[in-house]
Amino acid sequence: MKKLLIAGGIFFTLLSCSSVKEYEKEKINDVDMKLSARTSERFETNFQVYREAASGANGGKTGGGCGCN
Amino acid sequence: MKKIIALVFVLSGFSGQAQTTADSTDVSFKKRVLDATEVDFLMSYYKQDGIHSAVAGGNGMEKLTDITPTIVVAMPLNDDDVLTVDVGVSAYSSASSGNINPFDSKTPSPFQASSGASASDMWIGTTVGYSHSSDDRNTIWNAHVSGSVEYDYTSIGFGGGLTKLFNEKNTEVTVSGNVYLDTWKPIYPKELQDFSDNGNSTNGGIYNQFDIVDESGVSKSGYDPSRFTFWNDKKRNSYSLSVSVSQVINKKMQASIFLDVLQQNGLLSTPYQRVYFADADHFYINKFQLADDIERLPDTRFKVPIGARVNYYIDETFVLRTYYRFYTDDWGITAHTANIELPIKITDRFTVFPMYRYYTQQASKYFAPYQQHLSTERYYTSDYDLSSFNAHQYGFGVNYTDIFTGTKIWKFGVKNIDFRYNHYQRSDGLDADIFSIAIKFIRQ
Repeated sequence: MKKLLIAGGIFFTLLSCSSVKEYEKEKINDVDMKLSARTSERFETNFQVYREAASGANGGKTGGGCGCN
Repeated sequence: MKKIIALVFVLSGFSGQAQTTADSTDVSFKKRVLDATEVDFLMSYYKQDGIHSAVAGGNGMEKLTDITPTIVVAMPLNDDDVLTVDVGVSAYSSASSGNINPFDSKTPSPFQASSGASASDMWIGTTVGYSHSSDDRNTIWNAHVSGSVEYDYTSIGFGGGLTKLFNEKNTEVTVSGNVYLDTWKPIYPKELQDFSDNGNSTNGGIYNQFDIVDESGVSKSGYDPSRFTFWNDKKRNSYSLSVSVSQVINKKMQASIFLDVLQQNGLLSTPYQRVYFADADHFYINKFQLADDIERLPDTRFKVPIGARVNYYIDETFVLRTYYRFYTDDWGITAHTANIELPIKITDRFTVFPMYRYYTQQASKYFAPYQQHLSTERYYTSDYDLSSFNAHQYGFGVNYTDIFTGTKIWKFGVKNIDFRYNHYQRSDGLDADIFSIAIKFIRQ
């Protein structure tokens, strides 16, 4: 766990040196490049929360609000 | 549903008023966070089947169907502020939960659907969110409240978050917190409820209608689930803290990592899930085995999931979307999730996206299969959602986007239609299919 966090920290620290200008972000701004789940994906995430023990770390809720695991 | 649709139009009207007011007073020249009211209509149909019903102690049918109409309205209140209202319904019928009371049938069996009251239920939930963006759009804060209700469970929640963008908007950091204050209205397996209601005896209730028998159908006395007691604590509180960092890596790639920590306290067991002990005598009514107790789990749980997304723009036709998550908690569960999706732009309006997801988990230390727990244990469950398994999920989606919103319904233009289908296959025999559709309308 600690290794993952450290690796992630180093990864993003190094990456933050790069800078893409706004006018260069045509591809980054493509709708399929969004760094979030699709709107229609929420129902799949919902049933997975019920049918699997793991949840969270996907921009949604990690627990509570339902009688699920 | 009609009330919900009416509410959407009322809110849309309110939004239109807000826009007019903002436009008439605005003297600066900044792009609005949200140009116009957006309405998302969402719906899913889900069905599953399996053989490890937790209601029947890990041995019974798990047939379930669920339909979830949902409306999400996002309204710009002015240049900087957006109000979001999310209202959803989940109407399900479940053979498994119907067997909380399987004795409305003359021939109760864990592999037979019951027509009892608990065989169907409806969840209704709503979330109202508000977000504010700074003039330079580099700071966004948001807050939300939520509430939901179903027959045996109610929840209220609230939370908020702060997002900062820097490095020419190439780096984004978000910190958020959520609290859910939930309450069970416990319902218990019928044989245990009646046993307790009749002074810990089998004189009354269902025991006046049925003979208790052994596995071969011969009358048997001595059923005594005296280990069973009702739960006193009916609260379940959840507190989570989330941190995410997103980074544009180059002109064609961006990534993000997510870290959540969650603490839960209270009634974390499901009160109607049966447990059968290996070291106890077994009693039946017809073919339905009478519970020795209900699931007993600790009243605290600490979860830590960490995930990452990496998206890569291959070319004008293909995009690669990937996701990975590691999860661990203090109930002994570890899990890995990997997801890959490949959107393919067929035309400027149509995109298809095949997808695959792999999931694997290590069982909770409190789990044992059907009839393998010992009565001397402190905690026990035979809920196979907490067992060791792996799961494959595969399917496809189709997306239609019309940025000019050529198709109109009343004052709303259709901007986007998203359809997806997935099949889910778990190694313990549970199979599921889910169809989802989302239609986005923009107020003209």
